Amino acid sequence: MEKTRIGVYVCWCGTNIAMMVDVEAVAKEMESRQNVVLARTYKYMCSDPGQDMVIRDIKEHKLNRVVIAACSPRIHENTFRKALENAGLNPYMLQMANIREQNSWVHSDRIEATRKAKSLVAGAVSRVNHHQPLNKREVPVNPASLIIGGGISGITAALELADAGKRVYLVEKESELGGIAAMLDLTSPHFYSISDSLKTLIRRIEVHQNIKVYMDSQVKQINGYVGNFNGEIKIGNKKVKNIDFGNIVVATGLKPIKPETIENYGYGVFSEVITSLDFEQVLKKGSVLNAYGIKPKNVAIIHCVGSRNEDYKPYCSRTCCMTALKYANMIRSALPEANVYQMYADMRAYGKHCEELYADTSGKNVLFLMYDQREGMPIIEKDAIGPGVLIKFNERLSGEDIEVPAELVILMTAMESGKDAKSISQMTGTSLDANGFFIEKHPKLDPVSTTTDGVYVVGSCQSPKNIPESVSQARAATANILATIAKGYVEVEVITAEVNEDICCGCQFCIQVCPYGANNYDQRKAVSSVNEALCKGCGTCGSACPSGAISTRHFTDKQILSQIEGIMAEVGSG
Amino acid sequence: MEYNPTIVSFLCNWCSYTGADLAGTSRMKYASNIRVIRVMCSGRIDPTFVLKAFTEGADGVLLCGCHPGDCHYHEGNYKCLRRFHLLQKYLDQMGVDKKRIRLEWISASEGKEFAELANEFSETIKKLGKSNIKEEMKVEDKKSPESAVHRPARMGLQSTVES
Repeated sequence: MEKTRIGVYVCWCGTNIAMMVDVEAVAKEMESRQNVVLARTYKYMCSDPGQDMVIRDIKEHKLNRVVIAACSPRIHENTFRKALENAGLNPYMLQMANIREQNSWVHSDRIEATRKAKSLVAGAVSRVNHHQPLNKREVPVNPASLIIGGGISGITAALELADAGKRVYLVEKESELGGIAAMLDLTSPHFYSISDSLKTLIRRIEVHQNIKVYMDSQVKQINGYVGNFNGEIKIGNKKVKNIDFGNIVVATGLKPIKPETIENYGYGVFSEVITSLDFEQVLKKGSVLNAYGIKPKNVAIIHCVGSRNEDYKPYCSRTCCMTALKYANMIRSALPEANVYQMYADMRAYGKHCEELYADTSGKNVLFLMYDQREGMPIIEKDAIGPGVLIKFNERLSGEDIEVPAELVILMTAMESGKDAKSISQMTGTSLDANGFFIEKHPKLDPVSTTTDGVYVVGSCQSPKNIPESVSQARAATANILATIAKGYVEVEVITAEVNEDICCGCQFCIQVCPYGANNYDQRKAVSSVNEALCKGCGTCGSACPSGAISTRHFTDKQILSQIEGIMAEVGSG
Repeated sequence: MEYNPTIVSFLCNWCSYTGADLAGTSRMKYASNIRVIRVMCSGRIDPTFVLKAFTEGADGVLLCGCHPGDCHYHEGNYKCLRRFHLLQKYLDQMGVDKKRIRLEWISASEGKEFAELANEFSETIKKLGKSNIKEEMKVEDKKSPESAVHRPARMGLQSTVES
């Protein structure tokens, strides 16, 4: 058998790792480990020169195993696997040690962090000794796609795919397409009519021969894997439809919070107080009137209602500032004599032509009043003298306690993730963040993919987004999908279970524990067997097998036990 | 000087490991004595791994998986939970304080919770002090070399160094 030759590479990640971990000491310590041929450090292992160094060493020093101590394998494992492949080595002969996210970034004692790094890398070295080459499996891709959610993101994705000649199943839980965008009158900062554009798009969807729309419907179940999913859709109250598709676009969007929960704004108590989506309906009717049908003399627009506040939603809802500026302009032109107040905590007008609208609005006799989101949220009370309500708060710029009368108050309510986000995330095997929004694969470099291959998250189901952002994301996801369809096949999980028939005692425990029905019993041989197309490699059968006959590729007992040994072995201090 | 224990932690790839990564990207500080091993699913955590960690000298073992209902593989975390209860009983009977092993659910968004858990568990183990399992096993091996030969094979704890 070929002798094991391991190369160890410790990344500085600029100063990210090198500042807290003595990378040279880690590399030096590894030099003496069994089968380690060389140990080097480099500024950025993931850079081209870093990868080239690994490739060169594999060829020159006949390395057959590589350990890279750097960031999380969830970020760069694929990068380095490709480097190994480029050097002619099986990509699975790599093991990474996470010394950034789970070491240098979370510890503050350099000596301890270095000692820990040595242990983690020693564990990786010990483990990589037992790595086996694995060959990727290629499976054909079903060119049909499932799109969950018929808002502007889902609509865009559906049309892009359908126009490219691919089958699309669009599932919408409501009885109309368009989502939040359909509730808007004009967009900001340009004051286009979004409903006009939406109508055209929806009409195209309805007549498109490649798109099947399921209204009033919900996805109930999703099985399978990238390229080969199948799902169950409940249409209306009863009918269940089974469909097959290769990719999934999640575009479930968001919804406004219930402002009743923030008592000081008196929503539901005073008819003068409405939400921004209520006001869109008012605008659609063509005149600015309050609930009593009266033209208000004083209109107050309150920003950050529930947003950017630890007690409600800690994040910025993204679109409200610009929408509030849009309202100021609409009101100013409808009611030239009215007083218009913007009560804000911070104005956020970033993005193309947004700051310009802010500056322009400021010159239109609109009064901007600042309140303190944490200490002094405005309080709305009945006006004892005037016809409407009184808004009381401490104005931060002047430092004065003020009272503003208003006959119309518009609350710029925070947006929260859709009600079905949780169930969709469970069905698709994706994760939600602390605020209930879908987590993308990489916040910067992979913003529409998820950790589940073939599942994309676009638009406001990820975080509040404006229309151009949602449209861009939808198109980005469809570009990804069309690329895999064009290729015709996808590489699927090679980490699957395998049975050693010589040891298997035929107890069938593995069959009972498998969530995918991937394990079968072979009556003739009286042993278990694994259907690799169904197996997803969770490894629970391997833990259950009493005779050790089932092993999970790339996570075998031997590999993990040796990693434990390596991690627990003595390391030099300092 | 205060005893600095070593903790081995098994984290599932999809929720808990990602949660621990999030603690890192959020630069949350926590005890440095925790050594993480990534597995695809908490259902993959074979009780043997835990026993192995103890026999190699770990003072505590921390297992983390996805919250109930969130498992990437539907129900691996439930299987982990069942095995955990059995394992705790087993360790107890073997004379190992069952507080030395802990199972918690950490989601991909719970970086803060992971950091707090690591600190809390580290404190618990510090109070319990050094685990003597490794030493005791050495003594046992000397007393009865025969069982020393058979035990590792039985428990699946044979050394993995070049066989």
